[in-house]
Amino acid sequence: MSKLIKIGLPSKGRLREDSLKIFKKNKLSIKDTKRNYLSEIKNFSINEVVFSHAREIIERLADNSLDVGISGFDLLKESLPGIQKNIQVFSRLNFGFANLIVAVPNAWIDVQTIADLEEISFEFKDKNSGKLRVATKYPNLTNDFLLSKGLTQYKIVNSLGSTEIYPFTNQSEIVTDIASSGATLKANNLRILKDGNILKSSACILVSKKSLKDKTKRKIIASLLKKLN
Amino acid sequence: MKSKKYSEALLNLFKKKGFKVKEFENIIESKIIIERSGEIFKKSLLSFEDDNGKNFSLRPDLTISACLDYIKNIKRGIYKYAYFDQAFRRTFGKESLVRNQLGCEIIGSSNLQSNTEIINLIDQSLKKVIKYRTTIKINDINIFYSLVDSLKLPSRWRLRLKRHFWRHDYFKELITRLESNSDLQKNVFELDKKFYFKMKKLKKNEKIAGRKINEILNRFEKKIKEPRSNINGARVAQIIRDFLNINCPLKNARNELKKFEIKNKINLKLNQFDIFDLKLKNKNAMFSANIGRSVEYYTGLVFEIYKKSKSLNLASGGRYDNLMQTLGAKTKVAAIGGAINYDNILKL
Repeated sequence: MSKLIKIGLPSKGRLREDSLKIFKKNKLSIKDTKRNYLSEIKNFSINEVVFSHAREIIERLADNSLDVGISGFDLLKESLPGIQKNIQVFSRLNFGFANLIVAVPNAWIDVQTIADLEEISFEFKDKNSGKLRVATKYPNLTNDFLLSKGLTQYKIVNSLGSTEIYPFTNQSEIVTDIASSGATLKANNLRILKDGNILKSSACILVSKKSLKDKTKRKIIASLLKKLN
Repeated sequence: MKSKKYSEALLNLFKKKGFKVKEFENIIESKIIIERSGEIFKKSLLSFEDDNGKNFSLRPDLTISACLDYIKNIKRGIYKYAYFDQAFRRTFGKESLVRNQLGCEIIGSSNLQSNTEIINLIDQSLKKVIKYRTTIKINDINIFYSLVDSLKLPSRWRLRLKRHFWRHDYFKELITRLESNSDLQKNVFELDKKFYFKMKKLKKNEKIAGRKINEILNRFEKKIKEPRSNINGARVAQIIRDFLNINCPLKNARNELKKFEIKNKINLKLNQFDIFDLKLKNKNAMFSANIGRSVEYYTGLVFEIYKKSKSLNLASGGRYDNLMQTLGAKTKVAAIGGAINYDNILKL
């Protein structure tokens, strides 16, 4: 069996910086390549560090082209059950905090809870103006949450970015989105519903379950995780 | 072989009673289902997109297929469908993607006679084919709606309880919430009140995220007028739970419900229900206030048939008077139907 351990790290932004910091703090020195998406931990067993999109790290762990990775808990939970079942969460990390929430326009003063939203959704249906549209980058988590809270009459609008402006550009009526301080929502005249917290997320260390089945790899991964813990 | 023997025998009995055995289209436009059911059903559809971006699904349910066939080909009058075919749904556990569905529907009729006809036909056919004695459980979900209307509740809570009657788990959660008496959050409410006065100065017809200012203000005012704290949530929740526990022979149902009315000082308006007048051939008929809660589109009479000696469900069905219109019929078309639980029959 191969002794090569493949480690996936986020390729961009704060998540990349904080991930590199955690390796550095634990005396694992990663050659920072800036532009090259491949690197390695110099002072560890044979390994390869791959810088990828955080969403892609989840998929590559599931298909076992990566053995260990750092990504967002929200992204893991958003992925399909068939992907999640192949990944083990080793630990939640102390960075990358974000909450997935349901937000409505400030002016919807009659809507405080999801139950209110449920009533509004029927108004949309009854007036034949179609379904209440929910813009989101997280359709699976949003569906699971809204359906569990009694909302059924709505339609998901998949968004790739700037979700906050959707209600004011006639692309949706409400949104679900990631919020850390809530400042962006506030700046865009949106407010979080009282019972609208879908998921509390942070960065986490993830391991491919298939790698753990390989005795040699399991030992190397355990030693890496011990150093990171 | 057992499967073929049963399906052929049942379809022949349906045919003898004037039902036409039909085959339906395999593929339907997803929009038709999503527009009526929202995201809740979308998850179960096995869908694909054509080159023009139009989304199609394998037929997920043959009652819906029968309705679509009626809208497209029959258009008016009474039509009696019988079918045995496959329906396809995405599954999340070990269940198969393909379900065998054997059933019958009377579309275009709203009378008591068609209710009796469907129940008797399915029950008697089962008895002949599988040769076991059966028990029928009957309910009319409008009796529950009548109960909700007679309770002291804000109108939004009435609607909520009716809308979610068919979702067992969420309904339980609603009843617990009703008991706890927590609805409005005072501090948020006060903040909203400030916003309310600001909004009163805006143009009433202006829209914010698809809703008119007027609409938002009206609903806000209604919420203030109907605070939840004025009702005894625990008592109401208990009445609902007691009602759902009513289970008695159908011939005694009227009396049992009358006793329930007196005990709880409510009026269920029982005279408007004809469920007590069903002329069923099977004397083992029970009234059960808690059945028929698994299908969202049922609007009235619902029934379930069980093998008498075991609580094995053999068939179920109900009246769905609003489904046709939500699927595209231009006018209201009443309908009733039922399906045999084919997997359970094969277990016998």
